[in-house]
This record gives sequence, structure tokens and C-alpha cells, in this order.
Amino acid sequence: MKDWLHSVRALVWKDLLQEWRSKDMLTAMFAFAILTLFIFNYAIELSPVNRAEIASGIIWVVIVFAGTLGLNRSFTSEQDQGCFDALVMAVPDVSAIYFGKMLTNWLVMLFVSLLILPIYSLLYNQSLFNAGFILVLVLGAWCYSAAGTLIAGMTVQTRMRDLLLPILLFPILMPVNMAVVKAAGGILAGAPLVNVQAWLVLLAAYGIIVTTVSILVFEYVIRE
Amino acid sequence: MLFANKNLKLLSFLALLLILAAFAMVLFYAPIELNMGIVQKVFYFHVSAAWIGMLAFLVAAVCGIVYLNKKQLKFDHIAFSAVEIGLLFTAIANFTGMIWAKPIWNTWWTWDPRLTTMTIMAFTYIGYLLLRRGVDNPEKRARFGSVYAIIGFASVPLTFFSSRLLRTIHPTIFGADTGDMAMIPAMYQTMGVSIIAFTFLFAALLWHRSILAARESELDTLRAQTEALEFGEVLDD
Repeated sequence: MKDWLHSVRALVWKDLLQEWRSKDMLTAMFAFAILTLFIFNYAIELSPVNRAEIASGIIWVVIVFAGTLGLNRSFTSEQDQGCFDALVMAVPDVSAIYFGKMLTNWLVMLFVSLLILPIYSLLYNQSLFNAGFILVLVLGAWCYSAAGTLIAGMTVQTRMRDLLLPILLFPILMPVNMAVVKAAGGILAGAPLVNVQAWLVLLAAYGIIVTTVSILVFEYVIRE
Repeated sequence: MLFANKNLKLLSFLALLLILAAFAMVLFYAPIELNMGIVQKVFYFHVSAAWIGMLAFLVAAVCGIVYLNKKQLKFDHIAFSAVEIGLLFTAIANFTGMIWAKPIWNTWWTWDPRLTTMTIMAFTYIGYLLLRRGVDNPEKRARFGSVYAIIGFASVPLTFFSSRLLRTIHPTIFGADTGDMAMIPAMYQTMGVSIIAFTFLFAALLWHRSILAARESELDTLRAQTEALEFGEVLDD
């Protein structure tokens, strides 16, 4: 167990450091998120009246789209350099690879959200810094990375790669999308957490189920 | 070569007879529903097709688990065949549902949990077929297919539950006190026969398709071997 935790920590550190040095992915995700936000601004007339209601939906779509860019990259360095085998040999159990990658994707998504929230708040003069809202985003991003890391591990080894990831991921993520948008929307409209409890439980259940199943099957994704 | 063995032949004819029987019962035995009229009769095949959709994806997930444990390609052939057939029946369920919904709900489509879940499920398995097409190595294709069938099936109840939390107008026939649609015995009998008939049809189709999948896989292996031989000859020259 100690070895396992140690490997997970080393993996997360390696990926974050690699990303921090190049900042390729973060820059792309951030720019993409802001551009999506601008598209929404013109696609949907964001008048002050309806803005409050649809903010949760827009923020989530922006984060999901940007997150897909990140997920697509999460295994490419190993795949392109042919380090998969070395990685498998280096860890006590392959589930550590899944867990490390999942944590990295989660952290990267949260980092992008952290950049997007103040910008949205500034552009639309509506503060999104609400503990409940952030809790929903954290849970949603976990579910997203839990399913996304597993799928990305497969799509990176296929012929279509980047093209395939959203097609495989989005249908599986549908419950998460519904739960995040409804829960966050309720919270932003001023409802107490108790009112959206069912959605939060759903998110937690999804996260736990998908993480567990992924840990069980990840071995078959990565091992030749 | 239409039938690979005797049992399959028997099963196929049984399925055909049952489907004809179900068809006759829907047309002549089941009464015309008082409020909805003749269009209600589409319901018997609609429910049966939806049931086969669910059953097929369950079969695919179970075969996925078995494949990952046993590594025998035949389970992958069954899983792949089940997904293909399941998609077909899901489409039938969706279209028959639309035929019913237009006069009854006055719309072709509504964001009801069952409709939404069925459609999202269909997209999950279209993804499954695409994923398989992107992998050339049969063993890896089987592994990825199994993993995706398992995770995809695990998400189906969650999708249903979450869309149900939103709202529903779909009639609940079984296990409901509200009585959106009261059924008389003749209707239950017709329903039962069509579900059994569709299940037999599914079993027969699955068997045929799995045999075809096994032959396709043999053909691929043979082709690869021939190519390797030809390549070897070229090298020798």
C-alpha cells in the first residue's frame, strides 16, 4: 500500500511537472475555454435576467470541452515515446497508473476551473464563488476524470485517437452532466444544499462506481 | 450452410413460429384500447424490442467480464453480436415509440427518462462499434470492447436514475399504482407472448451472428497468414 501511494504520488508529480514546464496543454485548455465562453455569449443572449439560471450549464460545458482537450493528451507522451511498458514495470500495480493519471486530470481540470470562474464572474458581474457551487464542480470534475482517464487510455491506442474520445465519453457522462448542471443551477439560484442533495449523492455514487470499475479493468487496457 | 447445426435450425424455426403467433395475437386477440385506439397495439412490439435492447447490452457486458477472465475470443464474438442486434432492437423500440407518441402525446419526441436513457444507451454502443473499428489487433479489440461494454452498461442505470430525477410522463405499466394504462388479461397474454417471441428471436439471431463473427475472425487470420506468406516469398526473391 505504501509503495502504491508512493508510485501514485511520483506519477502525479511527474505529469504535473512535465505539464508545468511546457504549459502546452494548460494554455490550450484555457484559451479554448475562454473562446467557448465568447461563443456562448453570442449564441445565447446572456441577458442579466436569464444569465443566473444558465450560468451553471455554460460553465460546465466550457469545463467539459476544455477537459476533453486535456484528457486527449493524458496518455500521449507515454504512447508517443513508447514508455507504456516501462511505466507498467515501474509500478507495484497498474491501478496506480490509473489513479495517478486520474488525479492529474482532476487537478488540471480544477486548475482550469479556477481560472475560468473569476473570468466569468468578472465578465458577467455575477460572483460564482460559492462553496456549494465549487463543491459540485469538484465532484463533477472527479466523475469526469474517473471515466475520462479509462476511456482515454483506450482511445490513445486506437487509430482514430482524439476523434474517438468524446464519442465514447459523452454518452457515459450523461448522468454527470445532468447532475452537475441541476445541482449547480439550484445552488446558484439560492437553494440550500439539502434541496440538491439527491444530485450530490448521484455524483458521489457515479464517482465511486466508475472509479472502482476502472481500477478493476484498467489492467486490461494497458497490459499487452 | 444456412444453419450450422440442428439445434440452431430448431431455434430459428421456433422463433419464426412464435413471432407469427405474437403477430396474430396482436392483430386478432388483443382488444382495441378504449382511449388510445388502434395505435396502442404498437405497444406490444415496442416493449418487447426495448426489452431485447436491454437484454442484449446486458449479454454484452457479461460476455465482456467472461472474456477478460477466460480470454477466449468466442465470448467477444457473442458480445459484439449482441451489441449489433441490441442496437437494431433499440432503434425499433425508439421508432415504434415515436409512432405511438405522435397521436398520444402529440409529439414525436419528449425528454422523458426512458426515451433519453434508451437513446443515450444507443449512442454508447455506437461508440462501442467505432472503438472496435479503430483497433486492428483482434485480441486488443476484444479487450477494449469488453472494458467499454462493462463501463457502458454500468452507466445505464445511473443515466436512467438521473433523468428520472428530472421528470417523467412515460406510462408506467408494471409495478405502478397510478394506472396510467390499465391492462386486461388478454393484453397481458399478448404482451407475454410477444416478449417470449422476441427473446427467442434474439437468441436465434445472436447465435447466427456469433457464428458469422467467428467465421469473419477465421477469415482475417487466414488473410493475415497468406499475406505473411506472400511477403516471405517476396523477401526470398
